[in-house]
Amino acid sequence: MPPVETEHGQIKARIRELVDTNRVVIFSKSYCPFCKKVKALFEELNVTCEVLELDLIENGSSYQDVLTEMTGQKTVPNVFVNKTHVGGCDKTMQAYKDGHLQQLLGAESTAYDYDLIVIGGGSGGLACSKEAAALGKRVMVLDYVVPTPLGTTWGLGGTCVNVGCIPKKLMHQTALLHTALEDARKFGWEFSEAVSHNWETMKTAVNNYIGSLNWGYRVSLRDKSVEYTNAYAEFVEPHKIKATNKRGKETFYTAAKFVLATGERPRYLGIPGDKEYCITSDDLFYLSYCPGKTLVIGASYVALECGGFLAGLGLDVTIMVRSILLRGFDQDMANRAGDHMETHGVKFLRQFVPIKVEQLEAGTPGRLKVTAKSTETDELFEGEYNTVLIAVGRDACTGSIGLDKAGVKVNSKNGKVPVNDEEQTNVPHIYAIGDILEGKWELTPVAIQAGKLLARRLFAGSSVKCDYVNVPTTVFTPLEYGSCGLSEEKAIEYHGEENLEIFHSLFWPLEFTIPGRDNNRCYAKIICNKLDSDRVIGFHYLGPNAGEVTQGFGAAMKCGVTKEQLDNTIGIHPTCAEIFTTMEVTKRSGGDIKQSGC
Amino acid sequence: MAARLLVRRTWAVSVKGFRRLPAAAAAAASSSSRSSSLNTSAHTRSFLSPSRSLPLSSHRCISFNVQDHDDFTERVINSDLPVLVDFHAQWCGPCKILGPRLEKAIGKQKGRVAMAKVDIDEHTDLAIEYGVSAVPTVIAMRDGNIIDQFVGIKDEDQLDSFVNKLIGQ
Repeated sequence: MPPVETEHGQIKARIRELVDTNRVVIFSKSYCPFCKKVKALFEELNVTCEVLELDLIENGSSYQDVLTEMTGQKTVPNVFVNKTHVGGCDKTMQAYKDGHLQQLLGAESTAYDYDLIVIGGGSGGLACSKEAAALGKRVMVLDYVVPTPLGTTWGLGGTCVNVGCIPKKLMHQTALLHTALEDARKFGWEFSEAVSHNWETMKTAVNNYIGSLNWGYRVSLRDKSVEYTNAYAEFVEPHKIKATNKRGKETFYTAAKFVLATGERPRYLGIPGDKEYCITSDDLFYLSYCPGKTLVIGASYVALECGGFLAGLGLDVTIMVRSILLRGFDQDMANRAGDHMETHGVKFLRQFVPIKVEQLEAGTPGRLKVTAKSTETDELFEGEYNTVLIAVGRDACTGSIGLDKAGVKVNSKNGKVPVNDEEQTNVPHIYAIGDILEGKWELTPVAIQAGKLLARRLFAGSSVKCDYVNVPTTVFTPLEYGSCGLSEEKAIEYHGEENLEIFHSLFWPLEFTIPGRDNNRCYAKIICNKLDSDRVIGFHYLGPNAGEVTQGFGAAMKCGVTKEQLDNTIGIHPTCAEIFTTMEVTKRSGGDIKQSGC
Repeated sequence: MAARLLVRRTWAVSVKGFRRLPAAAAAAASSSSRSSSLNTSAHTRSFLSPSRSLPLSSHRCISFNVQDHDDFTERVINSDLPVLVDFHAQWCGPCKILGPRLEKAIGKQKGRVAMAKVDIDEHTDLAIEYGVSAVPTVIAMRDGNIIDQFVGIKDEDQLDSFVNKLIGQ
């Protein structure tokens, strides 16, 4: 039987056709402010729409009736995207905010050059871009290293690989070997020659390893079909960036979504001579000469780690501290790590801030004169050093990437980007991960996790969010400090001192006994919440191999480990980590925590 | 790093000077001493090569560092001779062993095969384009086509047979 050609049927077929053949269809009325708002949204998104103004066509009211029948929605605007009914103005706006609209548009998106552009080729940016590309998206990642004031630059991979975790840990290892050499004689090793260290050999070996990592990252981008551009990116429009390469050539790219992963760079002091004569961690790992007598300014973990390994190489190291060590970390632990450094020859100049740095003699290294003033008295300090390393913190690289053009809000005080719990900025199609996030961990594995999960949420319908709680981490001071969960200060602030039980103990690693060093220096502490079955909410370890020790306890804390469960765990003897299975003395009790005997 | 860059820059400048020589002069037999001395300095930097003492062929400059994409097209893709392309990196230990062995194997062929050296950090796009994943990677090309390739170290005999295969012996 042939279909009956009614007006109703014809309109229905017409609507079907419109919906099927257009990416976006809006049934609208020309005077309706809600319709205008929706049309403006698509205009902003750079998406062409088929708009049918029902008040301007002959049988508009019939269309509206059929639409009501088809969608259950009586009002206009009535929006369809890629054959899917989205709804009216509110629903469309909501879909835009939660990214659903972009997903619908992205399904057959040809409006933009890429589905995703990631700005920054560090750990987070690379992880996010590779994951997105593995999900079949067209992805570009841009990375550009602005040289330091002294001209140091490096390859693909971001801070961790080039000027952070990797070279830091390798140089820390260099220093540990020095200690091991000294210990070795006590264990019966005999070597007659005086031991000396060749900076250039170490630096070249470290740099070569980094070079191979840079290349490995580049290859993995190719293998994962991520397009890579070595250029500086800045927004010129909400969906458009300008990429400037090192020759100054400008290219423009558009994308449906963006991830900001630009990371941070060392902060300078803003005093005479800082940029001219001082180095930062960005220069240290590529320094062609041994830095010699070194002043480290700052007490950040970067400062203590760098000062620590330089001292471990046998250099004369002074650390100038304005107020406290390792701000944000458990202060009990921070001071113990600092005390250990002090007993091993690192000098601390406390409550001083530098006011100028002058060059006495150029050279590799040269000679610098540092003038500092006390933060408490009028006292001035003058000192001569070969190298001055500034490590007073890091600033987010968000100031000159055109975020204002994209409308992304940043914290004007520190340049950090506030995001919601899905790493989304105030601009719905722009996300941010890694060190530039406000109030989040500045750690490579966190950025990697956040980047991967973000890509899966954006492009694979996942709803798993990055968990920023109970993140284990380690500071590679000469005596390493590993922690997970809350510092004692934060635990008291959140839960109240009366609701906590803190267990602690000193311990002497077996390996240290024969050399007879560092007795009762290593320290273990756990903070338990009495109101929650003595669950461990803070884990702190100062001792050798802190990263290796802390990682496993981090997993336990993810599973909600309690004090009782730790007590029920069998220790591995003889190890350092076993101390956590036999913690008996509470801090409250004031009991003796010195270890003696087996 | 800064020092490394400086070295690279100096090398690039000196090469540019060389490349600015009139083509005729460059092709003249006398130029081989020029180009060989340039090559030697490159080898000592890149490979700590003993090839300084090797008698270089008087026919042509048979071993050269690729300068850019155009240079690659001109001297490798459009080369009349078969070319071994040695993708290497300064940070790569095995490359430093293989480089001099390759030079030696090429030297034995008395100008019947050329060798192009590509630093993958300086010419990343070329390495990416040619599918290099690890270094050293050596690609044998004839008339712009890839004939053969290998990754990693080979001993002298293996290199000789690899080269012989390329020139069809």
